[in-house]
Amino acid sequence: MTTNTPAVATATPETQAPRETYLNCSSGFMSWAGTLDHKRIGIMYLVGVGIAFLAGGLFALLVRLHLWEPEGLLFSNLDYNQVFTLHGAFMVFLFVIPAIPGSIGNMVLPLMVGAKDVALPRLNLLSFYLWLTGAILATLAIVLGGFDTGWTFYAPYSLYTDKAVVTIGLAVFVLGFSSIFTGLNFIVTVHKLRAPGMTWFRMPLMVWALYSTSILQVLATPVLGITVLLVAFERLYHIGIFDPRLGGDPVLFEHFFWFYSHPAVYIMVLPAFGIISELVSVHSRKPLFGYKLIAFSSLAIAIISFLVWGHHMFTSGQSTYAMFAFSFLTFFVAIPTAIKEFSWVATVWKGSVALNSPMLYALAFLIIFAIGGLTGVILGTLNVNLHLHDTYFVVAHFHYVMMGSISLAFFAGLHHWWPKMFGKMYSETLAKIACLIIFVGFNMTFIPQFIMGSRGMPRRYATYVPEFEPFHQASTIGAIILGCGVALMVFYLLQSLLSGKKAKENQWGGVTLDWHTPTPPPHLNFDHEPKVVHEVYDYSTLDYESMQRDAT
Amino acid sequence: MSHDDHHAVVVPAPGPEFVPHEVAHHFSTPVQEFQSGKLGFWLFLATEILLFGGLFAAYFYFHEVYPETFRVGGQQLDWRLGALNTSVLLLSSWTMAMGVRSAQTSQKSKTLMFLGLTVLGAAIFMVIKFFEYKAKNEHGLIVFSELFRPFIENPDGTGSLAWFQDYHGVMAGVPHGHMFFAIYLTMTAIHGLHVVIGAGLIIWIMFGTAKGRFHAGYFMPVDLVGLYWHLVDLIWIFLFPLLYLVP
Amino acid sequence: MSDTATATDAHDAHGHGELEMGHIHVSSAAMFFKVLVALLFLTFITVAVSRFDFGSMNMLIAMAIACVKASLVIAFFMHVKWDTAINKIVFLGSFLFLALLFVFTLADLLTRRLDHEMHTIKSPVDKEWVQPKPQADGNH
Ligand SMILES: [Cu+2]
Repeated sequence: MTTNTPAVATATPETQAPRETYLNCSSGFMSWAGTLDHKRIGIMYLVGVGIAFLAGGLFALLVRLHLWEPEGLLFSNLDYNQVFTLHGAFMVFLFVIPAIPGSIGNMVLPLMVGAKDVALPRLNLLSFYLWLTGAILATLAIVLGGFDTGWTFYAPYSLYTDKAVVTIGLAVFVLGFSSIFTGLNFIVTVHKLRAPGMTWFRMPLMVWALYSTSILQVLATPVLGITVLLVAFERLYHIGIFDPRLGGDPVLFEHFFWFYSHPAVYIMVLPAFGIISELVSVHSRKPLFGYKLIAFSSLAIAIISFLVWGHHMFTSGQSTYAMFAFSFLTFFVAIPTAIKEFSWVATVWKGSVALNSPMLYALAFLIIFAIGGLTGVILGTLNVNLHLHDTYFVVAHFHYVMMGSISLAFFAGLHHWWPKMFGKMYSETLAKIACLIIFVGFNMTFIPQFIMGSRGMPRRYATYVPEFEPFHQASTIGAIILGCGVALMVFYLLQSLLSGKKAKENQWGGVTLDWHTPTPPPHLNFDHEPKVVHEVYDYSTLDYESMQRDAT
Repeated sequence: MSHDDHHAVVVPAPGPEFVPHEVAHHFSTPVQEFQSGKLGFWLFLATEILLFGGLFAAYFYFHEVYPETFRVGGQQLDWRLGALNTSVLLLSSWTMAMGVRSAQTSQKSKTLMFLGLTVLGAAIFMVIKFFEYKAKNEHGLIVFSELFRPFIENPDGTGSLAWFQDYHGVMAGVPHGHMFFAIYLTMTAIHGLHVVIGAGLIIWIMFGTAKGRFHAGYFMPVDLVGLYWHLVDLIWIFLFPLLYLVP
Repeated sequence: MSDTATATDAHDAHGHGELEMGHIHVSSAAMFFKVLVALLFLTFITVAVSRFDFGSMNMLIAMAIACVKASLVIAFFMHVKWDTAINKIVFLGSFLFLALLFVFTLADLLTRRLDHEMHTIKSPVDKEWVQPKPQADGNH
């Protein structure tokens, strides 16, 4: 770690040698592998979750290709179980949960509150290595026989199957602690490391969203940890608490699992809300409509999400009374969520919207999330759920949220902060084309799944009745289009690193602190300790000259 | 991490037997550093509470389903040993609190003594625990050598556990007698792991104390390890009545 | 409190522990000892009351005493009494969220009995249904 010498931030743009940034202030393998700089850790996360996303996406394409024919094209039924499990587990645990907090959050949160780093940099590095360990264990589990339980590890099947459930359970446990430590770090950073003048209500909404996410990560994830631990114990020495043969109760497993995994949905989606809040404001050049409402709705979502987990268990043998309560409480989640959606739309309304590529991704999010959110309310309704449970309707619903909303928000954020991170600009034309392809491909993949689901196509089946063939084929074609869009995105982003033109100092005209530091930022984030005197999103303070000046 | 950052804040040592503390580069004051570490650790302890909470939820769940099993099972544990272990842990919590206090007041040898006593308490606890496990092993209530043997399944769907033999038939009259011991073993084993980790951490800060790193100006690591140790105690305070004196 | 002391008047500190850490509270040794005695006494009480059968109140009484002991450890040994507001909220708040796990999970279990009466369909963890008949109990 001694190789990681911090830069003394003195250089000005006009000096001879290239300005010292966090990217060039030190070099060599150890300067990255042992770095304590939140920005470099963010980049390492970005590479990691990016690879996990591509792997998960590959599994998704295999699933879709297999379903081209009613009898299945590629795999035996048992192998199919493994492929969709791999898709789910990789996407959920290695990509969606860590993606935004780990990469973009790590990169921008300290910048946004005006701190030199996160509060606990060593813990931050540990988080990343735990993520890496989890990824290695998950890959190892594939080698050790794979796993075919679905990403939910439902007992009792997960107790009986002869696959590598203990290994993947260990991976989930380790990944859980990676997520906990990231959340813990962000909470401490927000509480203790805000720059002078950065009051709670001057914090950008991205920070509020990450803060709310962190509360969930810290409080919900340990229960997942103990759950997978208990599953491992069950498999190793048959304690019997989830095993009906031994007097245990699988429903208890589901309670434990969903106590985490419902809030986990908000661990995934709240950071996406944060990104959209930032982007909608910056690219409309307008303060956010209802700043405090959005801030508090994040917290409200975080709290309410602990009260509704039973809506995943309507067909699991819960008591009817518990189902009433869980269904009723589920509707309350819709309120803060709708507040956000309306606030974003009201912000865009009559703003001077610049249709930059990040904004295009954000607008795609607004449309897709409206569908994903509303179908969630439908599914939360007890009597409707009994019919739609475990059908493609559910699959389509959560893909509208997880893929369509969260991944698109992640892409939006990536495009927004890419020039900040690397000082390089990608091709805007290609970015807009890719966004369009992804939007079309995505909807083509999942709209047929809504229809199939409402007609009774069950999820996780390797084969299906011939009536569904056209829908499945449309969905597969959509997935391929979606894949092409993602491939194009990866291409132009990587290309920008090699031969992209220089980004502007303040590419989009943001006024939060992350745009008040040189691009790319110096090792210690700010040349001078920032003092915040303006309200957040006060565009009268925008320095237009910085939007014209090339990054150094 | 060595760095040429001229902002580095240094807390002076209170005496020649101590070393000064350098505040990490991204903090502006020692208070900020202390409070950040402390808040972070409280958050970590919150995760521990929820982690153990899952086990407690399982306990209450099955206590409700199989009250007789739990009542009879609890009678198989020796409450005298449990009470003794509770007292040992409470005493060690007290020595830990005194150890932190000594570090706060820059009393090096006293700190070392109290931390050493705390480790001793941990060791006594584990030794007593060992003899308890041994007794359970001898009665066939937890046959440790058979723990990892697969569940033996009969064609009619019933089966038998290798690790639960119940040589004296004490659990014969109650349904699923293994259930109490499964929960007893899981909870005490995870708690025991925390005792061992806690003892390791205390030994680690004893080295730092011996080198004079911790004093009135900087005692955060001692404080945090102390909190961890009290949490271990806290969990046992609930485990003792629930397992040994099943209500 | 008379039996606590701040850094500057800790009786047995040689030359008074000077603290650069702002308002760090150093409790007096006497107070720690009193807490220890209280904890040991309560342990004795726990064992003593477990000798008597209060029926369904047993669990409540045992947990109430454990909670008092836990509060003593948290407030004094863990210094929460003198800690910052946010640290208090974090630690005590975690118990609140734990309570959610307990309440909903147990509420489900306990109301399944009512379900049973309502539908006469046996739910998987209905007591009589799960408990094997004596002759099938064989090895256990
Ligand atoms: Cu949910």
